[in-house]
Amino acid sequence: MSASGYEGKVVLVTGSRRGVGKAIAEHFLAGGATVLGFARGAASIEHGAYHHFEVDVGVPESVVKGFAEIKKVTDSIQIVVNNAAVLTSQYSMIMPPAAAQAMLNVNLMGPFMVSREAAKMMRKTKWGRIINIGSMAASLEPIGDSMYAACKAGLSTLANVMAKEFASMNVTCNTLGINAIDSDMLSQLPRDKIDAIIASLPVPRFSQPDDILNVIDFFASERSSSITAQTVFLGGVN
Amino acid sequence: MLTQDGVLEIILRALHNLNDEMSDSEKFDVTPTTKLFGTDATLDSLALVSVIVDVEGDVSTALGRSISLTDDRAMSQKVSPFDDVQTLLAYIMVLVAEG
Repeated sequence: MSASGYEGKVVLVTGSRRGVGKAIAEHFLAGGATVLGFARGAASIEHGAYHHFEVDVGVPESVVKGFAEIKKVTDSIQIVVNNAAVLTSQYSMIMPPAAAQAMLNVNLMGPFMVSREAAKMMRKTKWGRIINIGSMAASLEPIGDSMYAACKAGLSTLANVMAKEFASMNVTCNTLGINAIDSDMLSQLPRDKIDAIIASLPVPRFSQPDDILNVIDFFASERSSSITAQTVFLGGVN
Repeated sequence: MLTQDGVLEIILRALHNLNDEMSDSEKFDVTPTTKLFGTDATLDSLALVSVIVDVEGDVSTALGRSISLTDDRAMSQKVSPFDDVQTLLAYIMVLVAEG
């Protein structure tokens, strides 16, 4: 997959160490962007235009500190991809509260804080794209994913409200609801459960990285200035 | 050192910037006593948020450290810092003096 058209753009990707986030970060780098990565661990991308920040998006103070570090590198951000997420799949009655709280912190509070701080920078340049990585779980509401699905559903609402608040700044906010993709996160779930869900979809296959990057490019495009407060699901989920 | 005049300049610049974004019918007078919040204020809530964010950022940059105009302390002041330019100026000077 090649990309172009991101020269001069500064893109912040959360959860950039692995999986979908790493693929998205590398996609923007291939397109000529400067990429800022937030992750709890050390960098896994080596590229001259990649700047890594060890940030736990589930901790508001860590996000604020991360943005203070970003401002030492750049004074503008054009595109944000809120990708970082954690998943614990368990029946609600036996879900450890700490695991549920961690999902709430990382999957919902994290995007709120990152979008909040990024919007302050986007306000200066009156242009921005905020893209949240949602999940088919928000629509399919699978057993065992009560908190995860609720967070991902909340992510769309978060984007929709921010879309109204940021519209006058020419900042769009959208959500991409991805379905299953081979990743470390997916490996935590029973494979037969995932296969059954995928088999029930109109497009019964796992997502490929390019399926995701295609929609990311669409949301990030200059031409998508009127596309905001939208959630696009992959694979025919609705 | 950020002086009171310096902070006032930052606040007024934020208001002028906001005015520049508004249509002719929405423009308001920018003075050291401009009303920011309340029933007789000329700014709507989103406009006020924009001003607060700009002022918070510019003061933080000028100081070389972060200040917050949106934390619980600011929200619980007896006299709201967001009433008018003078109350905002006074509250920021308290934060500046704390070093």
